[in-house]
Amino acid sequence: MNIISSLFTLLIFPAGLTILLVGLFYEWMDRKLVARFQNRVGPRWFQPLADAVKLFSKEQIEPPVMTALLFFGLPITAIAGALAAGLYVPMLGLAPSYSFPGDLVVTLYLLSLMTLSIGLAGWNMTSRFSLVGATRTLTQLCAYEAPFLLALLGPALAAGSWQISEVNAYASQHWMILTQPVGFVVALIGLMGKLELPPFDAPEAETEIVAGALTEYSGRGLAFFNLGKSVELIIGLTLVSSFYLGGLTSLPLFLIKTIALLGLMALLQSLLARLRIDQTVGLWWRYGALLGLVQIGFMIAWR
Amino acid sequence: MNDEQTLQQAEKLLAPFNKETLHPETHRLDVVVTSEDLHAAVTALHDAKWGYLCAITGLDNGPEANNLEALYHFAQDSVVTTLRVRAPRSPAASVPTIADIIPPAVFFERELHEMLGFDVKGLSDSSRLFLPDDFPPEVYPMRADFKQDQPVPVIEVGSETFPNEPTKIGNTFIVPIGPQHPALKEPGHFEFTVDGEVVTGVRMRLGYAHRGIEKAAESRNWIQNLYLFERVCGICSHIHATAYCMGVENLAHVEVPARAQAIRELVSGLERIHSHLLWLGVAAHEAGFDTLFMYSWRDRETVMNILENLTGNRVHYSANVLGGVKFDVDLEHARTIKEGLDYLEGRVRHYLEVVTTDAMLLQRTRGIGTITRAEAERYGLLGPTARASGVIRDIRVEAPYGAYHRFPISAIVETAGDLEARLVVRLKEMLVSCFTLRTIVDNLPAGELTARMPRKVPAGETISRVEAPRGELFYFIKSNGTENPARVHIRTPSLCNWTSVLEKAVGHQLADIPMMIAGMDPCFSCNDRLVTVVRPNESRTWTWRELREYGIEHYRDLKNISEA
Repeated sequence: MNIISSLFTLLIFPAGLTILLVGLFYEWMDRKLVARFQNRVGPRWFQPLADAVKLFSKEQIEPPVMTALLFFGLPITAIAGALAAGLYVPMLGLAPSYSFPGDLVVTLYLLSLMTLSIGLAGWNMTSRFSLVGATRTLTQLCAYEAPFLLALLGPALAAGSWQISEVNAYASQHWMILTQPVGFVVALIGLMGKLELPPFDAPEAETEIVAGALTEYSGRGLAFFNLGKSVELIIGLTLVSSFYLGGLTSLPLFLIKTIALLGLMALLQSLLARLRIDQTVGLWWRYGALLGLVQIGFMIAWR
Repeated sequence: MNDEQTLQQAEKLLAPFNKETLHPETHRLDVVVTSEDLHAAVTALHDAKWGYLCAITGLDNGPEANNLEALYHFAQDSVVTTLRVRAPRSPAASVPTIADIIPPAVFFERELHEMLGFDVKGLSDSSRLFLPDDFPPEVYPMRADFKQDQPVPVIEVGSETFPNEPTKIGNTFIVPIGPQHPALKEPGHFEFTVDGEVVTGVRMRLGYAHRGIEKAAESRNWIQNLYLFERVCGICSHIHATAYCMGVENLAHVEVPARAQAIRELVSGLERIHSHLLWLGVAAHEAGFDTLFMYSWRDRETVMNILENLTGNRVHYSANVLGGVKFDVDLEHARTIKEGLDYLEGRVRHYLEVVTTDAMLLQRTRGIGTITRAEAERYGLLGPTARASGVIRDIRVEAPYGAYHRFPISAIVETAGDLEARLVVRLKEMLVSCFTLRTIVDNLPAGELTARMPRKVPAGETISRVEAPRGELFYFIKSNGTENPARVHIRTPSLCNWTSVLEKAVGHQLADIPMMIAGMDPCFSCNDRLVTVVRPNESRTWTWRELREYGIEHYRDLKNISEA
């Protein structure tokens, strides 16, 4: 019975399939909002799901690669990492499925597994677009990772715990966007960097390097990566809104807060032009990391 | 200095090399020089800073005359001086290169070499520019004895003749852009050598859309050719037709009525707005600023609607006929045009504010790809690309034609020379166009729409230069007194502007390259002179539904055939 309920948690609800579907729904909202901001009609509500189904039914073309194992393995690692991270966050306003002291760090690393997989996938190719894209993906990872981590550490320090569920509980009493506005901004922008959304979409800038690291991927492999990105979107939104926007304790609160945050991100995406990769790195290390550190220093002094 | 003095100055400079002088038209000087003297003659003009090199036209006078001619056209204001070099057809006609004096001449000389078989001595790069790689060597399509429908024996494409392009040189990669690439809306091929993200070298290959339109013109009559040249370019079709019409009318000594000339300027002004808005969207997309892209293309619909309302067509307006224009502008049209212009002017002012104040966009445009004034002159840049670097190169101002005498425009010049300046120049030009167009609509001269054109055009050669949205468009037309032209040579502005990318790419980040390519607003189709002539045997009106069904049927048939 225990195994069955664990399997149900892992595969169906609240992790697994549920996260996938919620992720696809949020991806649709993101696309629709950006489209409306840009004076376009935008996709219908089931479009991301239809895209995924279509990709799964298509042939996966195998380009010349360095290691075939990596080519087939990396998409699975990417989506597995993203889905595993979903176990530790208050998805849909429910308590996290699994929780232990320090799970914040594990979650962040699981999320980075996805980016790392994309980077390695590009590296594994002989295509030059993939190689340049991989270099950019990994460069960007090095740029936003530290500030993003610092920005999420602020609330953790305030709550006095590195456990997501405890920070969430503390946050439901304190709106940390008010006490740590700098941290919130860094976290929000960091999330956009992590998701490679404009203006941080240099790693997949189509006008320069086609689709970046994933240029040679098709069919199932591409579907896994795309699903992984949707999952990462919803997990990132959950984390940032649970930490900064007064916690996520019920389904309505979850929906309101994450959608509000998504709306803000969609607005920023449509307002800003793409940054060059050197400008992205400069922005993060010159301002992002510095602001994050100031915030942390302030928190330590306050405690 | 007036035209007379400019002409005299040119004549004086060329006196030492002059073998024969002609004054085909009041503003033209035609000087025959020997190929030995050519280099010195070009140097004399260049050192005296007399004008700039417009184009090099190759002529084949046929097997009987047994000579080829290379015409080097230089222009200053409205004066054009042509250096004419004659050479026998065989053994290979040879001319010295002038690319060491005037760098952009290398493109003209490569064209001269591959189209007419001139042996250009000292040409640094004689590889194919326009013709396909499997085109046989020593077959020159612009020679008189090359027939348009002549079967060309295609040479074997083997791995020996075409080795796989190298992907790596030492530690640097070669990133191919094109012929099929999301950054390019039309086919061209670039190989950028990159060290990390920094570009260290660049090669270019054109001709993917080459259909031999100049050759096709020689077997069509003067009226058919109007429709052919309209299809050189999908964006600036009107200006190509205008340049051609002006040339032919000039040869036939036909005076176009003032009203027709004003309507021609009106359409070309609308076309400029449409082209610049389209370009703004493309440039924004290259910079990853898709919102600006979507908005500018939405607003472009306004001007497209005006053009459709006026001419019946959205893209190929087909406004010109030889000797005039096809349609009149009535009060209802005038009202629609003015309403549209009012809306567009507001939008353009808004975009001008966006591109000069948006911090993120400025990071990608300010100080990027800067071309100084001296460089712009040296590279022979044209149009908005030159005007962004402080060079006043605008045929509408330098050598006003048609209705530009009556409705003059002011040239917009910026001095910064970077991508931001190129954006600003084009946006301000749209404002100028809006202003001028209103004046034209309000003050259309009364009169006829067409003048009578003869069927045969008297023998002669003429040059017409007009300002296309991308810069000076140059047409050389030769008639031998028959119903068909003997030679039409087109030099599009894009060909002259390539140097701005090729010379400036090195040292820039790979991410800036699409913007820099877009910065000159390249038009590959014009460049390559694309044409698709579809001649339906019967004319009928199709509804969308019928057209769609026809398309489905057509491809279904095609598929059946290929399966069977």
